[in-house]
Amino acid sequence: MDRRKALKNIGSGFGAIAVTPTVVSLFQSCQTAPSYTLAYFSSNDFEKIRQLMELIIPSTDIPGALELKLPEFADGYIAAVWDAERQEQFASGWSAFLTASSEISGKEVDQMTTADWDQVLSKFLKAGNEISDSEKDAATFAGQLRSITVSAFKTSEFIGENVLAYAPVPGEQRGCVDLMEATGGKAWSL
Amino acid sequence: MKKKQLLMETNYDAIVVGTGVSGGWAAKELCEKGLKTLVLERGRMVKHIEDYPTMNDDPWDYKHGDVITNETRKTQGKQSRTGYTTTESRKHFFVNDLEHPYNETQRFDWMRGYHVGGRSLTWGRQSYRLTDFDFEANLKDGVAIDWPIRYKDMAPWYNYVEGYIGVSGQNVGLPQFPDGNYLKPMELTCVEDHLQAAISKNYQDRLLTIGRTAIITEGTKPGLGRMSCQYRSRCMRGCPFGAYFSSNSSTLPAAEKTGNMTLRPHSIVTEVIYDAEKKRASGVRIIDSETNEVYEFNAKVIFLCASAVASTSILMQSKSEYFPNGMGNASDQLGRNIMDHHLGVGASATTDDFQDKYYTGRRNNGIYIPRFRNIGGETDQKDFLRGYGYQGGGSRSQSWTSKVAEMGYGAEFKNEVLKPGDWSIGLGGFGEVLPYEDNRMTLNYDKLDKWGLPTVTFDASIKENEHNMRKDMQQQAVEMLESAGFKNVRGYDGGYALGLGIHEMGTARMGHDPKTSVLNKHNQVHEVPNVFVTDGSAMTSAGNVNPSLTYMAMTARAANYAVEELKKMNL
Repeated sequence: MDRRKALKNIGSGFGAIAVTPTVVSLFQSCQTAPSYTLAYFSSNDFEKIRQLMELIIPSTDIPGALELKLPEFADGYIAAVWDAERQEQFASGWSAFLTASSEISGKEVDQMTTADWDQVLSKFLKAGNEISDSEKDAATFAGQLRSITVSAFKTSEFIGENVLAYAPVPGEQRGCVDLMEATGGKAWSL
Repeated sequence: MKKKQLLMETNYDAIVVGTGVSGGWAAKELCEKGLKTLVLERGRMVKHIEDYPTMNDDPWDYKHGDVITNETRKTQGKQSRTGYTTTESRKHFFVNDLEHPYNETQRFDWMRGYHVGGRSLTWGRQSYRLTDFDFEANLKDGVAIDWPIRYKDMAPWYNYVEGYIGVSGQNVGLPQFPDGNYLKPMELTCVEDHLQAAISKNYQDRLLTIGRTAIITEGTKPGLGRMSCQYRSRCMRGCPFGAYFSSNSSTLPAAEKTGNMTLRPHSIVTEVIYDAEKKRASGVRIIDSETNEVYEFNAKVIFLCASAVASTSILMQSKSEYFPNGMGNASDQLGRNIMDHHLGVGASATTDDFQDKYYTGRRNNGIYIPRFRNIGGETDQKDFLRGYGYQGGGSRSQSWTSKVAEMGYGAEFKNEVLKPGDWSIGLGGFGEVLPYEDNRMTLNYDKLDKWGLPTVTFDASIKENEHNMRKDMQQQAVEMLESAGFKNVRGYDGGYALGLGIHEMGTARMGHDPKTSVLNKHNQVHEVPNVFVTDGSAMTSAGNVNPSLTYMAMTARAANYAVEELKKMNL
């Protein structure tokens, strides 16, 4: 499957897409980051990925996925680091995830709201839900998206230097110390 | 100064080929003993600190983090096989596979860097001594040929090298794991402490200790301002504190300081030149890798320290009517018996304990469980010869806990991933590979590199002894972790191809008899006594411990001998 080419074609027909709330927010985001050119996702898919990642790592007193540009990181990472096979696997997982999402929400995926996506993630990422055989690929995808979101979150400069315990030059090594005394309960960033 | 190269002398007392752990030591010892020494390096110059461009980088300083990218795999596909050698912060210290091709009749992972310092910049730094269990093994088992040296020949040189480079570790008093000249040990983590106690309680025949690593943990060492480790764990990029041993920070500056060293980068040695009248080598021929010009340099003594495969290639390429099959190859052993340490097998586990504990500093060192197989009595095994040690470590993962999984995603989840994850522990075996005559490297003259030199072809694999050993390596790791009470104990054997240990060795072995070996007990080529080979080529058997310390000790020993022989006019 030449997904990248297919996605490019979708992108070229962008002007014809109805202006839904999600598209408006995409335009807004484009205004804040006009220079980012997508490397892996189509702009249509990327808008959904952005919503999903902000649900996984929402803005709290600490910036969330959108502010930290985690979707952009993930897009670049997948294109630059994953081999073709893994990219294709991820793409087919995404297709399965979209199909399952449409069934769960009872809507076309392009019509789904943030609340709808929240419902889908809740099904696939919260513990204790039953996952049917036909939903397995979708659930696997949700787990992968969560992993890459967390990994992007922890690789971001702001989190690494300001939120996690950052010690570029520790100077000493102690093997077994009290967690609260060492970092106040936070993980080391490096 | 600019004209230095043009005015370069062509006559020296000594020539050293290569600048890694062995070449650096040869340069230092020969220069300090007053020999005018030309040090040849095929790659570019790397100056200590100045040429460590990534030494202070954080992961977010790279667009995609400190990972191996698809772009890198295009030019460093083979160099990427380890999964760690060509990340963004390290890739500049490994070769471009397109410029430096080799051939694999069977898969062989040949990881290397062409620059001043060689793999001394990127090595794992684990530093262990061989013992008489190793030096006597071939004789005792009737395998290959006997080593011409014993532990007593090496012990003073191990002491000397350890003292100079700085090795941290703990003496534990095991005959199969000799004590050494160590700086203060690094500390075990809470889970490692726990495993150490459990192993001592559950087993009579084994123990766990902190890794012995060539990192300064107290005081300073000679070289370019070498001081104690700052625990940044960025070793493979070059250390601005000179805390770990490299040629660039330690031995080459020592050689430089004498005023006796001429270091010439971009110099690919193509052959050792033989003077049939004197029955000695007269010098070497090189190609300047940048200008493609050919030069000859003469010397009284030549040290090949280019690493096993490269030194062996140079000898193979040194053909003449006297040595039609390559210099020192009357035995037909040159290029045979290639060994490594087989790895990628062991076990991992987790624990729910020690949730309120953590560590400080990033310790670039692991734990070590010394060999406990085939050292006499009940330790002797039916299914395999020799032994293995374990390396590994216990740490707290960056984020994942059962709590994180429960929360799934969202605001609470986000807070939870900012806390340390569960503790986990792993043990990975490092096993001895036997010397097999048909495990070999040859030169392919039909496929030349860009300098017109033959490319290396590898045809080697591990065999039944190693496969049987791997089963035991996995099983014992699982048992030790289970009996220590760990959870989720998982054994693994991820497979292994020769070379992945990056300890390739044995292709110009030492021995008593010129009919069955290439080098004598002083690392001299039997037929050409003023040519010394003191890198991994010389190994008659592999032992099961990391070999670099042995190469350094062997080099210092051989250099000392060479100078004595020169004084006696024997060379």
